[in-house]
Amino acid sequence: MNTKKIYSDERKQRNNFLSPRSPFFSLVISVFCLSLFFLFACQSQTQTSNKTTPAAKTETVSNLPKVTQIDAPGLKNLLKPNGRPLLINFWATWCGPCREEFPDLVKIGTDYKGKIDLITVSLDELSEINGDVPKFLAQMKSESPAYLLKTPDEGAAIGVVSKDWQGGLPFTILFNAQGETIYSKQGKFKTDVLVAAIEKILTVQSQRSSETKYQ
Amino acid sequence: MKKLIFLAAAIFAIAAFVVFNYISPYVFNKTSPNEALVVGSTVENFKLVDTNGAEKSLNDLKGKNGAILVFVSAQCPIVKQYNERISKFAADFAAKGVNVIGINSNHTESLEWVKSHAAENYKFPVLIDKGNVLADKLGANVTPEIFYVNEKNVLVYHGAIDNSRGGDNITENYLRDAVEANLSGKPVAKKTANAFGCSIKRV
Repeated sequence: MNTKKIYSDERKQRNNFLSPRSPFFSLVISVFCLSLFFLFACQSQTQTSNKTTPAAKTETVSNLPKVTQIDAPGLKNLLKPNGRPLLINFWATWCGPCREEFPDLVKIGTDYKGKIDLITVSLDELSEINGDVPKFLAQMKSESPAYLLKTPDEGAAIGVVSKDWQGGLPFTILFNAQGETIYSKQGKFKTDVLVAAIEKILTVQSQRSSETKYQ
Repeated sequence: MKKLIFLAAAIFAIAAFVVFNYISPYVFNKTSPNEALVVGSTVENFKLVDTNGAEKSLNDLKGKNGAILVFVSAQCPIVKQYNERISKFAADFAAKGVNVIGINSNHTESLEWVKSHAAENYKFPVLIDKGNVLADKLGANVTPEIFYVNEKNVLVYHGAIDNSRGGDNITENYLRDAVEANLSGKPVAKKTANAFGCSIKRV
């Protein structure tokens, strides 16, 4: 990612690069300095994201989070980003890997609050909508909108989400604000890969908005 | 000359930027699931050990009209929900010359666990797919997941057993319809259907 950021910065400065008046020596020095800067910035960010304890929240087990029941058409609507990148995690309380990755998911939700939308969709039985599902979410201190999918045909619903979803849990999918799939993973996600994908979307998004601003 | 070199370096830097920032995320961040064997392909004969440690092959175990490979797990709740239906179609299809073979590819499940689960629930053999070699070869991803082959080991149907994990709202009997159509010489209308269940725990 460091390399990409360096290249990103180079693009911003490509007009200077191409200027015949620009001394080569100054260029090398400035690129070197920028490399150091971004290397340092990214390292501090990685250190921050390695912390596993989510930020302090006031949620308690007695105040269980609301879990909304949705059907297949409801799920289809959820897949549309609302002006921001959208991260969706499909999980179930009976799914070991889902439970294992959940703290990292909550951490990502906290770290990128306001920058991306995170929602979780449980595929537990409907009888758990006021039971194990909200209990687990409270235990995880999850504040993201939570849904429980109740559909007569899970296979059909899976097909609506992604052709890359083979039907296993967990499944995590990341859309950019335009609704394009940038990352998807069946099975436990790798936090660094997912975070890199989010960062990438946010970088591209900010470049797009600054380009629009200067047009 | 220096200007030319500088210009070339700048072009290279821009090209590298485009590749790293716009192309690589789409290539590297999207993880590709295991590609499933395409219906109509031949499943090569394979040998695995059963829960008693005896080596068995597909050709040993299949019936005169083929076999149904069902990927199972000893702990997956979705498999548990399907166990009764799996046992029922195993009995029904064995009578028609199509034998069911269970496959357990989860490296997280001990032999004892798999053995007791199989003994409690199934009358057909369950083979241990150590190192998920067969799951990789077929592209199996979840439990329960079906691969139905005919007498020549040609894949006829792949995917879900039916469309209701709880069994209370079945409107599509994918597997049963595929087997019955194939045995009566009719084309199989639905050759694949998404299976929903627990991810196979690979090594």
